[in-house]
Amino acid sequence: MIPNVAPAPADQAQPTTAADLRKTRRQGAPKKFTGSKLFGSFGSIAGVAWLAVLVAASLTAPLWLPFKTEDQDFTAVLSGPTAAHWLGTDELGRDLLSRIFASAAGTLGTSIITVIVAVGLGTLLAMLAAAAGERVENAVSRVTEIMMSLPGTVIILAVIGAVGTNIPMIMGILGVLISAGIYRVMLGQAKSLQSQLYVDAAKVDGVSTAGISLRHVLPGLTNTIVVQAALIFAVGMLIQAGLAFIGFGPPIPQPSWGGMIQGASQHVYDAPWMMVPTGAGLALTVLSANAIGNALGKAPNATASHLPSAAARRQRAKAVATIASAAPAPVTQDGVAKGTLSVRNLSVGVDSTGAGSGVRLVTDVSFDVEQGTVLGLVGESGCGKTMTALSLLGLLPSGVSVTGGQILWNGRNLAATTDKAMETVRGRDIALISQEPMRALDPMFTVGYQLTATIRRLRGMGKAEAREEARNLLEKVGIVDAARILKTYPHQISGGMAQRVAIALALAGQPKLLVADEPTTALDVTVQAEILSLLRSLVTDTGMSVVMVTHDLGVVADICDQVAVMYAGQVVENGRTDSILDNPRHPYTLALLAADPHANHANDMPERLATIQGQVPQPKDWPTGCRFAARCQFAGSACLEPVPLLPSGAGEGLVRCVKADQLAVEGMDWLATDVPAARALEITPTQNPRSLQTIVEKDLA
Amino acid sequence: MEVTMALFITKRLLMALATVLVVAVLAFLLVHAMPGSPGAVSLGAGASQQAIDEVNQRMGWNDPLPAQFFTWLGSAVQGDLGVSLIDGRSVSADLASRLPVTASLAAGATVLSAVLGIGLGVTAAVRGGVVDRIIGGVAGMAVALPAFWIGIIFVYLLAVQSSVFPATGYVPFESSPQDWALSLALPVITLAVGGGAFIARQTRASMLEALQQEHIRTLRATATPTWKILYVHALRYASLPIVAGIALQFIQLFGGSVIAEQLFAMPGLGQAVQNSVSTHDAPSVQGVVVIATVVVVAVNLVLELATKFLDPKLRAS
Repeated sequence: MIPNVAPAPADQAQPTTAADLRKTRRQGAPKKFTGSKLFGSFGSIAGVAWLAVLVAASLTAPLWLPFKTEDQDFTAVLSGPTAAHWLGTDELGRDLLSRIFASAAGTLGTSIITVIVAVGLGTLLAMLAAAAGERVENAVSRVTEIMMSLPGTVIILAVIGAVGTNIPMIMGILGVLISAGIYRVMLGQAKSLQSQLYVDAAKVDGVSTAGISLRHVLPGLTNTIVVQAALIFAVGMLIQAGLAFIGFGPPIPQPSWGGMIQGASQHVYDAPWMMVPTGAGLALTVLSANAIGNALGKAPNATASHLPSAAARRQRAKAVATIASAAPAPVTQDGVAKGTLSVRNLSVGVDSTGAGSGVRLVTDVSFDVEQGTVLGLVGESGCGKTMTALSLLGLLPSGVSVTGGQILWNGRNLAATTDKAMETVRGRDIALISQEPMRALDPMFTVGYQLTATIRRLRGMGKAEAREEARNLLEKVGIVDAARILKTYPHQISGGMAQRVAIALALAGQPKLLVADEPTTALDVTVQAEILSLLRSLVTDTGMSVVMVTHDLGVVADICDQVAVMYAGQVVENGRTDSILDNPRHPYTLALLAADPHANHANDMPERLATIQGQVPQPKDWPTGCRFAARCQFAGSACLEPVPLLPSGAGEGLVRCVKADQLAVEGMDWLATDVPAARALEITPTQNPRSLQTIVEKDLA
Repeated sequence: MEVTMALFITKRLLMALATVLVVAVLAFLLVHAMPGSPGAVSLGAGASQQAIDEVNQRMGWNDPLPAQFFTWLGSAVQGDLGVSLIDGRSVSADLASRLPVTASLAAGATVLSAVLGIGLGVTAAVRGGVVDRIIGGVAGMAVALPAFWIGIIFVYLLAVQSSVFPATGYVPFESSPQDWALSLALPVITLAVGGGAFIARQTRASMLEALQQEHIRTLRATATPTWKILYVHALRYASLPIVAGIALQFIQLFGGSVIAEQLFAMPGLGQAVQNSVSTHDAPSVQGVVVIATVVVVAVNLVLELATKFLDPKLRAS
């Protein structure tokens, strides 16, 4: 009956191991408490209202209650609701309504003792452990571990044996027992706050440990403190009522909720009504506290699921059907070469239900990939490259879907293909390798199991044959001791090795097209080169094509035949790699090249490396005109109009810039300095790039 | 690896032993703080001071505290927890007869909670939408309802209104397995309402977290069928927190049995602790505290071993 761990809010998984606690360290600073969430849901509004009514009614009880708690009405013993006794009476004819409200204040008040002790002590210990370093943390954690492995209920009963039914005292000791659970919930957050850069800065400034804890850590914990307080309040009430139920409540005849329910349980045969009012009152109060805690503790926005729920899949199927009916029937030309991908006017957006509904993430993107060639999708983070790439496999995260356009694979429109039907395409025709190989492999299964299961599924092989093929594949991707690697779990191999395994996994179904989402970004530089050369040789050997998402122009120069430069959800320039690298036509491409230390040759390395001021605008802030204008050194008033993608004049290349021709003629370079006044044209950016000031303020908040 | 495993188990066993010892000391001190000396309690009101003193002297009540503790500990490790001050019966024998009652109650409630909780939690996470909201609402309600109140409602509905189950009492397994099951039904269902809701929430959250992992996308990219992603890969990933939640529930239900035993008049450990606390029967209280601690510590030990077995990262290191 006594929870050994503080209850976590319903939608947050509880950290169960020390490893989980450590993991939280990487997250950003927890949010400060804001009251607005309290009134964000019906449940919490109702909860606040009920608690307010209860407290007010209970405190003013002597003024308005129709009966005293010990008044006995022998004409109405064990009665149901009547005009005189609205909620009925008990076995001595005492008025239930009066007894419930008269005893509410005591129940609520003593439960608050548990809250103060549990949350106060738990928070203090967590702040101490976070501030005082590993040794203290280990000691405190060990003690709380022991506290949490105690049989709480029995210990509380033994305490009652020693001190009697001194309820405030018992609720205080209960708080001490619960504080161990609170400590575990708080520790991760306190440590994460303690490791923030501004805390380091404060330390350098000579702020004392206690000062840091009070000024920087405690404010960040307020939301969790309030959430836990609400939940522990509920726990306290339940336990207190439970104790009174088994006879350890306030002395008779003083009423208590648990005692009244105990009384009702004696009359379940002759007066079943009696259990209803008190039980419902207690349940409502506990429910209210829980509702408040859960509303405050709701994580603002969880990471999207990689496998949408059944309900979400049904919605997506509807969206696919809409696209299928809206798009012109794919022209299945007999002439379409095997293994060609044509993306036509692809748009991706956030679904209409949920947060940020209707925001466009990718608009009007078109490109082609011929068999055996490599296309690079280049741009900064937040330009829609990954969304474009994932849409090729129909693997957009939950809540995001294709809103228009066509993805023609061998003439078949994948954008209008159901998820079920996509299962015949994924792995067999189009495969995926992703950025973080460690996270792309299932940590719970061996490399061998993951590979053989995939090979058996995609190639219909038997177990032994698949095992052999798995070894072949690993050797093909350059793993020498394949037999050993097959037996390992993903965490036992290095990042580069894991990426080779991930590539082997992608090759398991002998795909014709490989979608590679920044496959080298998370790897060491030397390993990057190895993986790239592996991919290059796979393209030559197998004749498959590759869509390579990258922000690294070195990778583009190394491996790509064609390039599509993306900015803010659009293709701004595309064409052959050599012509784009040698002769960029769009200012953004120009800027990317000027900002890349590797793209500049050693002899003409500029003194200062160029930068691109500001950031890629958020999708909701995209202007109607040129989306790059706010950051462009060459922007002018003409850039406020929507810009079409037009032939750039260099081969079959296209460019989306009204000034492309002019810039080509004048041969302007992206300057390494700040935008000169003469060139800064009367463009007002729709959204000011976040200045350092705001970043600092945000972090301090 | 064998050696490290043995080392790990040894370390954990020592830790568990230390916990039990700490609790034993704590219980000993608490019991000593109880009002009334053993003589006064066992002889009852109206006994002469001389008789009381005599009993106290015989029981070693006047010895120094450490000496008393070690005497108790010496017999406790041999399985002798002393005699009850109230009826003079052996505490060990009494608790041994009560342990199966509480154990069947807690185990039954845990199994039912786990089945209900995992089933509903997985369903909520997998189906989403309206189903998820309904299960979430019901689970939110169920964790807030006090077990003793739910119990009375069940008694009213299933024992009084329609006599499906007996309302109170306990039938030992040896006398009639069928009646044993029937006598456990109501208390088990009562405890499983809150327990099941807790595990359902834990399962739902763990499943959703599992489905957010990037390897789920890899599985989809290699055309793994949805059922396999959900019930082999995601459930396997979620199994660690779910198992931890179930172990936690067992411990809580073991404590929660105090209430169920009171409500359904079952002769278990909970009833023993309640009686002995009311009557200031020091040896009995101390005995129950130690037994309950051993059970809880043992469950935690099993959980830790299970976690080590389930998590490849821990298994290898």
